This record gives sequence, structure tokens and C-alpha cells, in this order.
Amino acid sequence: MTWLAIFLIVVGLFFLVVGSIGILRFPDVFSRAHALSLTDSLGAVFVLAGLAVYEGFTFNFLRIVVVLLLIYLMNPVISHATLRAAYRSGLRPTGEKDK
Amino acid sequence: MNSFFFFVLTTLIALMLVYLYRVVRGPSIYDRVLGLNGISTKAIVVLLVIGTMFERVDMFVDISTGYAILNLVGALAIAKFLEEQGAQEK
Amino acid sequence: MKIFPVIALFVLWLVLSASYDLIHVVMGIVTAAIVVWINPTAAPSTRKFSWLSAIGYMPWLFGRVLKSGFHVSKLILDPALPIKPELLHYKTNLRSNGELVVLGNSITLTPGTITVEVAPGELIVHAIDAPSQKDLVSGVLDDKVGRLFPMKERDK
Repeated sequence: MTWLAIFLIVVGLFFLVVGSIGILRFPDVFSRAHALSLTDSLGAVFVLAGLAVYEGFTFNFLRIVVVLLLIYLMNPVISHATLRAAYRSGLRPTGEKDK
Repeated sequence: MNSFFFFVLTTLIALMLVYLYRVVRGPSIYDRVLGLNGISTKAIVVLLVIGTMFERVDMFVDISTGYAILNLVGALAIAKFLEEQGAQEK
Repeated sequence: MKIFPVIALFVLWLVLSASYDLIHVVMGIVTAAIVVWINPTAAPSTRKFSWLSAIGYMPWLFGRVLKSGFHVSKLILDPALPIKPELLHYKTNLRSNGELVVLGNSITLTPGTITVEVAPGELIVHAIDAPSQKDLVSGVLDDKVGRLFPMKERDK
């Protein structure tokens, strides 16, 4: 069980590191949001799943799952709101071909 | 296991510094907001890892839930404000 | 007063609260009842929601998130950064609020596509390159979300 937890946490850390590289490398705010959604919906969730497995099947498992669901519900809302504000105030992605 | 959690904590805080670079240098104000959002997601994870380390997850889950909800309300308020104000700073 | 929201909020209280003596449990029931009482019309959607399809939908969505997550990681780690950002106007035949929320949330959760603007029947989606738009353009996601909200007889 501990090894499964370590495996899940390491996978999560991999996605977190890749997302951070992405947020440094991508050229504009719209592409950076993709890197952010990579860190949120895969990295953080894998680390939290690893912690939940490490805790075992107790009430703490359920508590961590509640935080995990909260992340899954909230982070899309935040990045959508930020990008909508960017779009409505006239920012457009670089190299866009509108179709 | 404790040293492994310590390694995870160090990595997470190093990654938060990367996001902090984006917050300080970000060309547009939306980059700064996104960077702050990334930092607070990592802060939630850091709190839970600390809780697992000290075997008090029941306490730290409450703190991280509150942090997550405050982050949601704050980010939505900033986005709403910027939407109506327009970007002064490109 | 509806009984199902009270039970759902009370279960959430039981999971999050760490103490199970009498005073805390009674406080939980009273708080859940008060929250439902002051929000009498807080229904997220007027359409019927099928919980049975939701159980099948969530693992499918997670598999899709995982697949496109690996795709986007490959893009980021590529030294040439081969991205082709594109705003596409995506026509959907979902109209009600609940369907649009689930659809937009699923699109944004998947790395590689992000909902930028939502209107009934049309979404503006930012996609990072051509392969990540594939599921969206082929209409698979639209179909799956539509199945979560089965039509009632009088809606047709």
C-alpha cells in the first residue's frame, strides 16, 4: 500500500514539474492556462490520491477525497473566469487563425 | 516515509517559486492571476502533505478546504473586476 | 422542505467534522436544515439528472484527462514547442444550464482545451493543437453529456 502511495505521489510530482516548465515556456496567457490545467487536474489530484491511499480506508480517506472533488469542481471555474476576462478585454492568442 | 514527504514538500515549494516568477514578471495581469491560482493549488497540496507528516490530517483538511474556497471567491472577484474594468495593463 | 439536500449536507458535515459526540451531530442536523430552509429555490438545473450515467461518465472523463495530459506533457517537453493555438467556435445542441455547466467544466478539465466563452448553443474553445480538438469536434463529448440529462416527455 505504501509503495502504491509513493508511486501515485511521484506521478503527481512529474505532472506538477511539467506544468511548471510549461508555465515558463508557453508564449501567451491562453496557452499558459493549459499548463495550469495540467498541474491542477492531474498533478495535484495524483498527489492527493497518493496521500489518501497512504492514510488507508478511514474517515481521513473520505476527507481527502472531498478536497480532491473540490479541486476538480473549482479549478475549471477559475481558469474559465480568468480567460473570459482576458478575452472580453480584447486579448487574443498569438498566432490565432479564427475559424 | 518522513524523509520522502520532506522531499515532496521541498519540490512543491520550489515549484511555487516558479509560479512566483510568473506572478512578478508576467506580461499581462491575467498571467499574474493564473500564477496566483497555481500557487494556491500547490498550497492546498502542501497543507495536506504537512498534515499527513504530522498525522493530523483531520485538522489540516479543514484548513485546506477553507483555503480552497477563499481562493475560489478571490479569483472570481478579481476576474469579474477585470472584466468590467478592462485591462489597463497589457 | 426537501429531505434529500438536508441528508447530503449532513453527510458532508459528518465527513468533515472530526468529532462525533451528541452536541456536534445535533448541530450538524440543525445547520443543514437551516441552509436548505434559507435557499428554497437553489436547484442547479430544472432538468432531470441521471446519477447512474454519471457513475459511468466520471471514469471515462478521467481516462480522457489522463490521455490528453500525456499529450500536453509531450508538447511541453518537446524542445521545439510545436503548438498551434486556435480559437474555435464550437456549435453544440445542448441548451439548458446544467448541460452547459457540465460540458464547459469537462472541456476545461481536459488539458489542451479550455472554454473561453459560453452562450446557449455556442462555445468558444481555445485548443492548443489539432490532436487535442479531436474528441470535441467529433461530438463524442457532446453525446456523453447529453446522455447525463435524459429528456423528460414534456421537454420534447
